[in-house]
Amino acid sequence: MSDIERAARRVIDARLHLLDRQVLDVVGEPVTAIDDLEIVGADGEEVVPGRTARVAAVLAGPAIVTRLLGGHPPPSRWERIEWSHVERVGTTVDLSVDRDALDLDWSERWVRDRVIARIPGGLHDPESD
Amino acid sequence: MKRLLGVALGILTAIGGFVDIGDLVTNAVVGSRFGLSLVWVVVVGVVGICLFAEMSGRVAAVSGRATFEIIRERLGPRMAGANLVASFAINLLTLTAEVGGIALALHLASSVEPRLWIVVAAAAVWLVLWRVKFSIMENVAGLLGLLLVGFGVALFLLGPDWGDLLAQAASIGQPPGGQSMGSYWFYAVALFGAAMTPYEVFFFSSGAVEEKWTAKDLSQNRLNVLTGFPLGGLLSVAIAACAAVVLMPQSIEVSSLSQIVLPVAQAGGTLLLAVVILGIVAATFGAALETALSSGYTVAQYLGWSWGKFRRPAKAARFHLTMIVALLIAVGILMTSVDPIAVTEMSVVFSAVALPLTYVPILVVANDPEYMGEHVSGKVANALGSVYLVIVLVAALAAIPLMIATGAGSA
Amino acid sequence: MIIGDLLASRVLDHDGGGLGHVVDVRLALELRDDDADPETGDDVPLSQGALRSDLVGQAEVVGLLVSPHNGGSFLGYERTGVRSPWMIASLMRRMHRGTFLVAWEQVEQIEEGTITLAQGFDRLDPSLH
Repeated sequence: MSDIERAARRVIDARLHLLDRQVLDVVGEPVTAIDDLEIVGADGEEVVPGRTARVAAVLAGPAIVTRLLGGHPPPSRWERIEWSHVERVGTTVDLSVDRDALDLDWSERWVRDRVIARIPGGLHDPESD
Repeated sequence: MKRLLGVALGILTAIGGFVDIGDLVTNAVVGSRFGLSLVWVVVVGVVGICLFAEMSGRVAAVSGRATFEIIRERLGPRMAGANLVASFAINLLTLTAEVGGIALALHLASSVEPRLWIVVAAAAVWLVLWRVKFSIMENVAGLLGLLLVGFGVALFLLGPDWGDLLAQAASIGQPPGGQSMGSYWFYAVALFGAAMTPYEVFFFSSGAVEEKWTAKDLSQNRLNVLTGFPLGGLLSVAIAACAAVVLMPQSIEVSSLSQIVLPVAQAGGTLLLAVVILGIVAATFGAALETALSSGYTVAQYLGWSWGKFRRPAKAARFHLTMIVALLIAVGILMTSVDPIAVTEMSVVFSAVALPLTYVPILVVANDPEYMGEHVSGKVANALGSVYLVIVLVAALAAIPLMIATGAGSA
Repeated sequence: MIIGDLLASRVLDHDGGGLGHVVDVRLALELRDDDADPETGDDVPLSQGALRSDLVGQAEVVGLLVSPHNGGSFLGYERTGVRSPWMIASLMRRMHRGTFLVAWEQVEQIEEGTITLAQGFDRLDPSLH
C-alpha cells in the first residue's frame, strides 16, 4: 500500500484536471500550458506496469507536437518542470519557483531580447499613466 | 455620483463598441435589398451576444481563465488546435476588414489615397496597443463610436413612413419582390454572424482578466451588456432602416462605404455626414484594436504564454509579436487592393461558421462548479443557452451551403 | 513514460479480448496542510476567491479509465456530477456509457499502443465523487 492512500489525498484525472491547464509561476505569471506529464516508478526508474508509479515532471514545448500528431518526443527534447516545483493544483497549476528560474522559456526570452525590448517603449508600463 | 458615472460610462461604451465594420456593411446591404424584413435576425443576434458575453465574462472573472485557455482544457489540444487555426484566420479576416474600414472612412473624409490611410491606420492601431492603458483605449473608442447615433438622427430627418417600416419588420421570412429566398437566408446567417462575432467574446473574456474583475464588476458587467448591447443593436437597425428608406427604392446595391453613408448625407447634409464618418472611424478603430488583441489572446492562451495589455510589452513578448505580425498580414492583404467591403462580407459568414467552436466550451464551463463555485449558470441562462446552441449550430451548418447555392447572396 | 503514451491505447483483457481505449489516467494527489485563507469581499478579484486549489505533494497513478466507445474528449461530464446544460450533458453520458476504472495494480503489460490487464481484473466505478 502506498503512502498517499493513508494520508489526506485528492483523486483527479490527469487529462481532465492537469493536461492542457495553465501553469503559473510563484508570482502568478503564466509559464506554459501543460502539454504532457512524465511518470516514473517509485525510485525514479522506468515505470513497471502494476507497480507504484508517480508523476515526475510537467512537460512543455515540443510535447505539444506529439500530442497533436501522435508519437513520442525524444527525451532529449523535453522541456521539463520537476513535479517537486508544483505547489498547488486548482483550475491552474501553480509553481513554487519563478519562471525565469526554469529552463524552458527560451522562445519568450528570445522574442523579448531580440525584438520587443528593442522597440522604443517595450519596457514601458502601460498601467502607469 | 462617481459610481453612477462609472455605470453610465460602461453602458455608453458598450453601445458605441457594439457596431463594427461587419454590422455596418451587413446591415446596409441587407437594408438596401431586403428592407427591414431581416430585423428579427438582429434581435436574435443581440440576445445571443448578450447571453454569450455575459457567460464568458462571468467565467473569466470567476475562474481567471480566458476563453481560449478553457477551449484547450475542454476540447484537448487537437480539436482546440483546429479551433485556433479557424478562429485566428477569421479574426485576421475581421482585422483586415476593420483596418480597411478605417482607411475607407478616412478616404471618404479626405480623398487622400486609401493605401496611405491603410498604413497610417495600422500604425495607429499598433501604437495604441503598445502604449495606451486598457481602460482608456476601451472608453475613448466606445464613446466616439456613439456618434453613429447619426444614423438614427438621419432616419428621423428622412421622415419615413413608419407604418411601412413596421410592416417590413413584421414580414419575417418574406423577402421583398425580386429577392430570392436563398439570398434572404444567406443574409440572415451573415447578419447573425455580424452580431455574434467570436472575437467579441475573446476580447470580452480576456478583458475581464486584464481588468481583474471583482464581484462588483461582475454585476456592473451584466448591466453594461444587457442594456448596452440592445441599444447598440438599435444602431444596427437604424443603419438598415436608412438603407431601406433611401437605397432600396432606387435599387442601389451597396458595394462601397459612400453608399452606406449616402442616406445620412441626404438627410443631414455635410455636418451629420462628418459626425457619422467620425463615428465610423472610431467604431472600426475600436474593433481593429479588439480584433488585433484577440489574435494575440487566442494564440497566447492556447500555448500558455503570458499575455495582456496590462503587462509591459517585454513581459508578454510573444503576445505582442503575434499582434504585430497579425497587423502586418492585414496590411499586406489590403495592399493587394482587395475590396474591404468584400472581405467584411466574407468575415461575417465565416464568423457564423466558427461560432459553435467557441460557444460550446463556454456553455459547458459556465456550468462547472470547479471553475465557477457559486456562480454557475442558472436555469434561465441554461435554457436560453441551449436554445442558442441549436440556433448557433443551424447557422454554422447552413452558412457554407447557402453561400455556394446563392453565389454569396448574389442570386 | 509520458501520459500521452497511455492515452488512446487499446486495452485488452488477459486473453487478448478488446475492452476499449484509455480515455484518462487517474491520479491521487497527496494533500499538504494548507493555511492559506482565500480572500473574499467586494473589492477582491473574484478569481482569487474561494475556488478550490490544493497544496499538493506527490501525484501517484492509481488507475486507468477505459471507455468501450472512443478515445475522444469527455468535456468533463462522465465523471463529475454536473448535469447541465442538459443537452450536452446527456449526449456526453450516452457517448461514454460503459466507462470503467481499472486499478493500476491490475495492469499487467504496457506495450506501444496496447495495454493488457491482469486476469480477473475488477471494473470499478469511474465517478470522481
